[in-house]
Amino acid sequence: MGAYLAKRLAASVVTAILSSLVVFWLVRQVPGDVVAQMLGQSGARGSAAEASLRRFFGLDEPLWRQYLAWVWAVLQGDLGTSWVRGRPVLDMVVAAFMVTLQLGLMTLAFATLIGVPLGLIAGLYEGRRIDNAIQAFNLLGLSAPVFWLGLILLMAVSQTLAWSPPLVFRSPGRDLGQNLQILILPLLSLGILQAAAYSQFTRQCVVSAFSQDYVRTAVAKGLPMRVVFFKHILRNILIPLVTFMGLILIQILGGTVVIETLFALPGLGRLLISAIETRDYPVVQGALLFVVFTALVVNLAVDMLYHVIDPRVRVGG
Amino acid sequence: MKRQSGISVLRRFAAGLALAAGMAVPATAEISPLLYGPDPDEERRGGSLTYGSLVEPPALDPFHQGADARIRVTALIYQGLFYEGEEAAIPLLARDFDISDDGLVYTFHLREGVQFHTGGTMTAEDVKYSYDYIRDPANGSPGAGDFNMIDEIRVIDDLTVEFVLTSPNASLPMALGNKYGAVVPAGTFDAEGARAALNDTSVGTGPFRIREFQPNSFLELERFEDYWQPGLPYLDEITYLFLPNAAALLVALQNNRVDVARLSRPQDAVQLEGLPNVTVQRWPSLGQMALDLDSDHGPLGDERVRQAISLAIDKDEILQAAVGGYGTVIHTMVAGMQEAWGVAREDLEFQGPDREAARALMAEAGHTGRVPLTLTTIIGFDWMDPAAVTLREQLGEIGIDLDIRRVDLGVWIDNFRSRNMGFTFNEWGTQPDPNLLFFRHFHQQPEGADFRNWRNAAASELLMRGQQESDPEARQQIYRDFQKEMARSVPTVMLFSSDHVTVVGNRVHNFTKHPTGWHFGLVKTQVE
Repeated sequence: MGAYLAKRLAASVVTAILSSLVVFWLVRQVPGDVVAQMLGQSGARGSAAEASLRRFFGLDEPLWRQYLAWVWAVLQGDLGTSWVRGRPVLDMVVAAFMVTLQLGLMTLAFATLIGVPLGLIAGLYEGRRIDNAIQAFNLLGLSAPVFWLGLILLMAVSQTLAWSPPLVFRSPGRDLGQNLQILILPLLSLGILQAAAYSQFTRQCVVSAFSQDYVRTAVAKGLPMRVVFFKHILRNILIPLVTFMGLILIQILGGTVVIETLFALPGLGRLLISAIETRDYPVVQGALLFVVFTALVVNLAVDMLYHVIDPRVRVGG
Repeated sequence: MKRQSGISVLRRFAAGLALAAGMAVPATAEISPLLYGPDPDEERRGGSLTYGSLVEPPALDPFHQGADARIRVTALIYQGLFYEGEEAAIPLLARDFDISDDGLVYTFHLREGVQFHTGGTMTAEDVKYSYDYIRDPANGSPGAGDFNMIDEIRVIDDLTVEFVLTSPNASLPMALGNKYGAVVPAGTFDAEGARAALNDTSVGTGPFRIREFQPNSFLELERFEDYWQPGLPYLDEITYLFLPNAAALLVALQNNRVDVARLSRPQDAVQLEGLPNVTVQRWPSLGQMALDLDSDHGPLGDERVRQAISLAIDKDEILQAAVGGYGTVIHTMVAGMQEAWGVAREDLEFQGPDREAARALMAEAGHTGRVPLTLTTIIGFDWMDPAAVTLREQLGEIGIDLDIRRVDLGVWIDNFRSRNMGFTFNEWGTQPDPNLLFFRHFHQQPEGADFRNWRNAAASELLMRGQQESDPEARQQIYRDFQKEMARSVPTVMLFSSDHVTVVGNRVHNFTKHPTGWHFGLVKTQVE
């Protein structure tokens, strides 16, 4: 187990390094840099002001030196300072991540609590009316674009209840009431879609489990359906369900930018978008590295969880 | 160089110059009532206002950040020697001034008792430091070019400072306004990290100071208690909310989550008209939506092609399509300055639409078949999309096949600065002075940037003379001649000035929108 963990960590580090290279190079391929942004239409290329600013940001150094300087700082835990905002990148990324994480975890909980039971019921009563109804919901949820759903919810609530969410984001510690009011609509927009996906997936797991030998055996033994279901099927589909949970979480954490833009949430997606638009390299690099790191951690955690769920799963096998 | 004696003689002289020529009216120590908008009817002090904005200032540093989104907000926090009056620069931190006979030495008398947000009183040393800092290109300010007429700045005493110019320049007072730079305490940028610190702590003299700035979220400004103008500002605080989505902004306005907002798509006002809790307002603007033609770009190198394009365009149609008619068609001058500086349409060549003449010119230029051309538009500038489609139809009728290419703003800025903009829409604004409007953009290199590669010696000569001419009537004539040349040779087609369309909730009183679009009006705004 320990060896497996070490091997996985080593692989993660390699992934992180490769990602950092790609991120570093990719962001510099987009034309225009922070200096061009700051100077705007005030003057043409080649001015003394431009030269001075490029020197200020270290953009006049050769690319490899810029990269090594950045990597060296990262290894010491310093993600650098935002060229546009002047704040430490790590502070900005963590603060933004907290917002996205809260939304992500709440969405995951919502999707699980609604989606899994729905999927179980649909799978259990396959072919019956309740199954058809749930599948209809799933299909609608899976096809609706998240932006459309969010916008419809926002406008519908505004028209019918004359209410829209407050706009100054407050962390749950600072003002829980305001925090929840702000997150309820984004949660519903994302949550409904993820619940539909989870529900459909769970249903498929249950349906395919019914055709497995062990279930046939259990039924043939005369066990009541309740026991078959909870003692056998559920435990066996737990692994794919947990995998899916990990996937949902990663997807949510990386893909909230649309919802954040619609509901003005200061999350990681928005931070990345604005950093890319303003060519704030340290923030883009830092944020992307953080996302990669998070994905690696979640993956690792899910793998470890397998072993807990089912000791037969040989980790590293 | 002989210095004038007698303020009264000078005041008459300068007043005559000023009113028509867009220079400053030297005032007494009295504070002009024009500063920051009209006074309200009632005395209403206190309260907080929420301003919803689709764009966020990338940073709050008036020295190193050129974005318009920044200028709008820092206009409340920092102050220059002058204020952008609609017809002339009005003394702000300068109380009054003298000009030498040869127009090369400006002596500014400063206001007494002006406090900085971080403490301390403004003196001539601070003024010298601030303007020496910004005009030195080594400090990397986008505004450096606006001050290159200054040769030297001298401190005479605590409240008197002299600006010595290399050549006469009538737009000096307007340049000493609130677009770039400001008066800050001497030594502000000496400390490392000083630039970044400006995002959290302001060091200006303005009516508001920074309380908290959360990127991608909000900006809180609070009243500066020691502000030098008595009784101002009325508001206790302003909270800027950054909403990156227009639909969300409209919902916020409907529910009074936001008190004031400017609509980036003026035609969205239709959705709010008739609602009992908000009022829609329209204000004239000093901005322009234009079509830029790079003379180094394919067929645009031929003047006749550019003239043909100018003739083919129906600006009214574009105005309707782009902003639903919420604006004014313009010719060679922004709407806010047309009366003082503009030329009548009848006196300008190649004003469309005249498809016949346009086709004739294209044929004369040797284009008998279809001519492919690519139009660049910028993502995020909503007016450009319907305008582009309309333009494609209009140019299609004179044999041009227009391909539309949308680019990200950063890419567009990069191309623009490299003088490689091609055929593109553009949107930019100005202070109310023709030199500041035209010189950098249209004077050939090296004195100007000549972004459109126009290389027009005659136009450049006019611009240089206009910059130095102090007689108001002569100056006006020079710029009229320049505009005629601009209309004739078409480095750009100015399409329209879009009105600033604002929405205010009922609890807001005395809100005005300055034609630059900067938030000066919030100083005298009140809430219930």
